[in-house]
Amino acid sequence: MTLNPLPLNISRFGGCTLTGALSVTTQVRDAVTIIHGPKGCAHHNFSLLHATALDNDRVSLPDLISTGLSESDIIFGGEGALKKTLDMAVRQNSGAIFVLSTCIVDTIGDDVAAVCHRTPEIPVILIPSAGFLGGTFQNGVNNALNAIADIADPCQKGPYVNVIGEKNLEYEVEENFTEVRRLLGALGIPVNLRFLRDCSLHDISRLGAARLNILRDGEVRAVGERLQYRFDTPFIQSFPIGFAGTIRFIQEVADSFGVKSTPAVREEKNLQDEILIEFEDIAGTSVMFDPPGMASDTFLVAHEVAGHLDITIGHDGCRVPLQVSPPVGTNGIRHMLHRWRRAIHA
Amino acid sequence: MPECENPLWPCAMSGAAACLSGFEGVTVVIHGSSGCYYYPATLLHAPLKGTFILENEVIFGSEQRLHEVLEELSGDGKKIAVVMTCVPAILGEDIRSMLRDYDVLLVDSPGFSGDVETGYQKALFALVPSVDPDTPGINIDGACLFDPYSGGNVREISRLLAHASVPVGTIFCSDRLERVGNAAACTIGTNEDFASSVGERLGGTLGLEELKTTFTRIGSLFSEADPGPVLEEIEREDERIVRACDKFLRRFDPPHTVIFSGFSYATFAAYTLKHYLDADIQYIGSRNEPGATSFHIGHVHGFSKVKELIRHYNPDLIIGSSFERSVDPKRAFVGLTPPVRGTIKLAPHAVAGISGSLSFIEDTLNACMDRRK
Repeated sequence: MTLNPLPLNISRFGGCTLTGALSVTTQVRDAVTIIHGPKGCAHHNFSLLHATALDNDRVSLPDLISTGLSESDIIFGGEGALKKTLDMAVRQNSGAIFVLSTCIVDTIGDDVAAVCHRTPEIPVILIPSAGFLGGTFQNGVNNALNAIADIADPCQKGPYVNVIGEKNLEYEVEENFTEVRRLLGALGIPVNLRFLRDCSLHDISRLGAARLNILRDGEVRAVGERLQYRFDTPFIQSFPIGFAGTIRFIQEVADSFGVKSTPAVREEKNLQDEILIEFEDIAGTSVMFDPPGMASDTFLVAHEVAGHLDITIGHDGCRVPLQVSPPVGTNGIRHMLHRWRRAIHA
Repeated sequence: MPECENPLWPCAMSGAAACLSGFEGVTVVIHGSSGCYYYPATLLHAPLKGTFILENEVIFGSEQRLHEVLEELSGDGKKIAVVMTCVPAILGEDIRSMLRDYDVLLVDSPGFSGDVETGYQKALFALVPSVDPDTPGINIDGACLFDPYSGGNVREISRLLAHASVPVGTIFCSDRLERVGNAAACTIGTNEDFASSVGERLGGTLGLEELKTTFTRIGSLFSEADPGPVLEEIEREDERIVRACDKFLRRFDPPHTVIFSGFSYATFAAYTLKHYLDADIQYIGSRNEPGATSFHIGHVHGFSKVKELIRHYNPDLIIGSSFERSVDPKRAFVGLTPPVRGTIKLAPHAVAGISGSLSFIEDTLNACMDRRK
C-alpha cells in the first residue's frame, strides 16, 4: 500500500520540511518565525505545535507570522507580502527573525533570500524549508539546526555536554531528556545546552562551550558533523538505547571526559535487574509486535528485552505495542514494559 | 490578504476534506504533499488517502502519480474524491481531463482559496445534493468533522427528532453518500456556519429558544409529528437551567465575557449567557465573517488580536478554543471552538439541542465557580 504514511517509507511520506524547521525555530524564545505562504500552512503548524506543547504541559504558544499569500499574490508574486511582513516583524523588537518558505513559494519562484537581505535591522535567518520541495521533515530539522548554529561563535570549552537535535514533537521528549540527564548526573557531568529546546539566542551563543555533543539519534548526524567541524566538539551519535546500549552510553561518555564509569555502571545494572524482577510476571509469555514493521532500533530493543524475560515472539502471540522511536535508557524500557504488561493482561 | 500572526482557522483544503470524509462510501484523496495530508488526517481522525507528491511530479507533472493512486483505490465500490492542494492547483495541469477515465469527484479547493467554510461548501456543492420529495423526515445539517461537537450534535438532534416522531433525512455531512441525492424536503441546522442550503430551512437548534421555535414549526408543518415531548423537555430543562443560574447569581456577579468562535456558536453562547446569567458580553471575536447581531463583534483571525482583546477587556470568562485558554490559564474558560486540545474528550458532547444548552451552562457555571475558589 503506498497511500498511507508508514514510518519506514521516508521518501514520499517523510513529512514537511516546514514543520521540521518550525519544530526547531519555535523553541527560540526571543525570536519570531515568518512563514512565507498561505495562512493555512501557518495555521496547520500552529495548531500542531500547540497540541504537542500541551502534551508536554506547556501552555505558551509560538510566535508565527504568516505572510498570508492570497490567490493574487500567487499569480503576481509574493515578495511584496514578505517584505511587508518582515517590516512588521522588525517592529516587534525580537532578537532575530527566522524566515521559512513553503512549497507554493518555491513553486512560484519568489526570491526569498533577496528580500531577507534587504532587512538589515536585525538578524534575519533564512532557513530552507520549502515544504515537500525542500525534502523531508528531518531535512527541515537539520536545516534549521545548522542555520541557527551559525549564530554561535567558537568559545572556551568546559566540562559539559550539549544535547543535540531532540525530537521536539515527540510525546516523551521531556522524559527522554530527563533520562539522559540522570545518566549524565551519575557521572557528574552537567548539560550546557539543549540545542534546540526552550532556549534564548544568548543560550545558543554557548553552543561551542561543551566538550561533547550527544545527538538524539542518527538522523541528526549531519548536524553533529557540522558542529564537530565548526566547534571541534566530538559527538556520541545517539541517546542510550536498550539495556546494553545504556551501559555502553555511560562508558562512552565517561571515557570522553576521562572519568571512572564503574560506579555509575554498577548502579545502572542494579536498576536494570530491579526492572526485570518487577516484570517477572510477564516472563515466558508469547508476544507479537504492533506494528510489525518498525524502525530497526526499536526492534532491537524489543528483542533484547524479550530475551531477558524469556518472552517468545511469534505470530500467535499477544499483540504488544512498539513506538516509532526506541525507548530511551533504562527507564524508557520500564515504560515500554508497562504497556506490554497492560496488553498481555488485557 | 494581509499578514497574519498565528492564524487560528484552517484552510479551504481542510474544509473540503472535512465535508467529504463525513460521508460513508467516499474515499478522500488529498492531492498534494505529505505535509498537506498530515494536518487534516490528524485533525479529522478520518481515513484519508494522499498522493504525497514529490518534487519531480511538480516538474514533470503529477498525472502518473495520480493514476497510480487512483488505480490502487479503484474497485472497492467507493466514490473517490480528489481534493486539490495549493501546489497542484497552480501547476496548470488539466486534472479534470486526467481523471476522465475514472468515476472521480474533483474538488478544487487549495488552501489559498479561503478558509475551512469555503472548502466545505465547495465540496458539498460538488456532491450535487438534491431533494427527493418522496423522502420522509427532516435533514440535519451543520455536521462537520472539523467541529469536535459535531458528532454530539447529530446524536442529540436525531434523538429529539425521534422523540417528536420525525424520521431523520440526510445528515449533512455525516451520512451515507447515496443519501446526498435524495434528501428530505426540509432541513434543520446544528451549526449555521456549515449550513447545506438543501431543502426548506425550518430553523436552527442552538439554544432552547431557537429549538422551541424550530420544533413548534415542525409540529405545524408535519401532521405526523408530535413535538409535544420535545417541547415539554425543553420547558423542564429550561427551568433547571434557570434555577442553577439563579443560585449562581445569588452569590456571584454575572461574568464579563469575551467569546471567540465561529459566528454561529459564538452568537449561541452570547445569547445563552445573556439570557440566563445576565452576562456582560464584552466582545465576540468571530473566526469567520460575522453576520448581523446586536453584540459587539469583529472578525478575529490571528492570535495576536486575541491576546490584545483579552488584555483590553480583562474578562472574567473566556469562551473559545485552547488557543484562547493558553493566553491566561487562570481565567475561567469554557471550550466551544476547535481546537480544544489538552483535555481528553471521549463522550460525544453537543452544543446543539437540549443537551448542548445544558452542557454549555454546566461548563460555564463550573468554570466561573472554580475560578473563584
